[in-house]
Amino acid sequence: MIRFERVTKRYADGTLAVDDLSLECADGEITVLVGTSGCGKTTSLRMINRLVDPTSGTIRVAGKDVTKSDPAELRRTMGYVIQQGGLFPHRTVIDNIAPVPRLLGASRAKARGRAYEMLTLVGLSEPMGKRYPYQLSGGQQQRVGVARALAADPPVLLMDEPFSAVDPVVRSELQQELQRLQAQLHKTIVFVTHDVDEAVKLGDKIAVMQVGGHLVQFDTPERILARPENAFVESFVGTDRGIRWLSFFAAKGLRLHVPATVETTTSAEDARRIAREAGTGWLLALDADRHPLGWLEVATLNGGASIELAGLRSLGHTFKPDDDSLRAALDATVLSPAGVAVAVDDRGVVVGVADHEEVTRAIRAASGRA
Amino acid sequence: MIAAASTSFGGVISYLTSASNWRGSSGFLERILQHFEYSAETLLIAVAIGLPLGLLSGHTGRGGAVLSMLSNASRALPTLGLLTIFAILIGVGLEAAVIPLIFLAVPSILVNTYVGIRDVDRSLVDAARGMGLRPWQVLFRIEIPVALPLIVLGLRTAALQVVSTATIAAYVGLGGLGRYIIDGQASRNFAELGAGGVLVAAFAIATESMFLVCQWFLVSPGVRARAYTS
Repeated sequence: MIRFERVTKRYADGTLAVDDLSLECADGEITVLVGTSGCGKTTSLRMINRLVDPTSGTIRVAGKDVTKSDPAELRRTMGYVIQQGGLFPHRTVIDNIAPVPRLLGASRAKARGRAYEMLTLVGLSEPMGKRYPYQLSGGQQQRVGVARALAADPPVLLMDEPFSAVDPVVRSELQQELQRLQAQLHKTIVFVTHDVDEAVKLGDKIAVMQVGGHLVQFDTPERILARPENAFVESFVGTDRGIRWLSFFAAKGLRLHVPATVETTTSAEDARRIAREAGTGWLLALDADRHPLGWLEVATLNGGASIELAGLRSLGHTFKPDDDSLRAALDATVLSPAGVAVAVDDRGVVVGVADHEEVTRAIRAASGRA
Repeated sequence: MIAAASTSFGGVISYLTSASNWRGSSGFLERILQHFEYSAETLLIAVAIGLPLGLLSGHTGRGGAVLSMLSNASRALPTLGLLTIFAILIGVGLEAAVIPLIFLAVPSILVNTYVGIRDVDRSLVDAARGMGLRPWQVLFRIEIPVALPLIVLGLRTAALQVVSTATIAAYVGLGGLGRYIIDGQASRNFAELGAGGVLVAAFAIATESMFLVCQWFLVSPGVRARAYTS
């Protein structure tokens, strides 16, 4: 466990970076420090491995005051990941990963073996080990950064905005990768970010910090979104915090309806009949394997033209009731031209639909429970 | 005069290829050796002064302003003037020639080393400290290898300056390849003068090549490629 006990950091120029911070980062959990720039989140992180020493107060790791340890030896027991990886350009990927086990006394061969293991663990192939950092993409560099931090198998991982410099798609991949690793390794992780979505996605606990180094709220992501401590947290988590909060409720609770469907081979006449009988203006078009293709607006059908000619409107996106949250389901209804979200199973086969009313009902039911 | 100039090219070649000119105490071999000796000695002392100072101030980030001021000031000193002053002060000899050359060589080494180390991405240093490297390990394992292209450039520049300027050591009565140029000029022996010029140029090219080869072997491909692409 990492404990901040009334920690204050005041720089020589008088700036108060961290103000009387008390905080406990539980073992095996991800604690996210989040806040705007200048809120002291990075300084707080850097005090854990003594890249910065506190002006007053104590930081204990596993009960031991960090300022009592030799800084270099202390740091070898903690993985450290920074923005853009901080990889050494003059060394190959493998020689970037191997140094910490070497510093801790592993033989060269053993350290390299360990480094190759780590490379595979973070989802890179062995031949990548011989490349130089400039030959890797931003996302790959960041994976190497994580591999390097894990190489000595430290109980603690300090991550300073590790995914801020990569594009959103890669960031999301790296976040999932971290979640996968964490489920396997159970490290005590302190993670700094300015991105609320990232904090909510990764954090077991979130510490929201405010300029001047104040800790404003320390709580689970659910509670931070549902019950922000004050106006600062409320505005920081954003006007769509309600929508974000929905990501904590499974879409499983939705009562799915059976949609009125057509296939591409259905004639326009039949389609009109099906719509009339179902009392709807929109029909869900499926292929032969019952994968959804798009929405057919019955009013746009004219004469005996085939459905294909009439043209289908895009689905927006589908959701999976077993994996996705109410947030995804709500988003799917908003994007759907018919106002109806399409639920599919793992193979992409339609299992039902949910309209605005049903999603609203599920949200009411869920928030009543919360 | 024109006739002398036109015949002198052939004269230079026959002067250079005459076997007797290569031997003896004022022969080419002896003079090349002397030139090498002055240059190498100067460079070694300049490296011993400039490199540690540059590394230290680059690593700590201290003294950069003072160093660059001193370097600029010493660059402004005319080498020939210094040479004369030292020859008068301590008498004609090796020291009188080497000391001004050191003044000439130190700034390139010092400034390039300092800038090279300073310009190492701070996030690399942060990552290196964060993973538990001690300050000297950060310097030797990260900062120096990454700054190496610039450090070697400083050494190369200094070496070239020394090699070409060591020619004027002959003014204060020392040997080296400058002898041919000064003696040739004094005695209007254009073949000798030209041969001296060719030898000094060849010496400089050899020095330059040697440093390029060193650079190729010393600098990591990862850093080399980055230097070309950025």
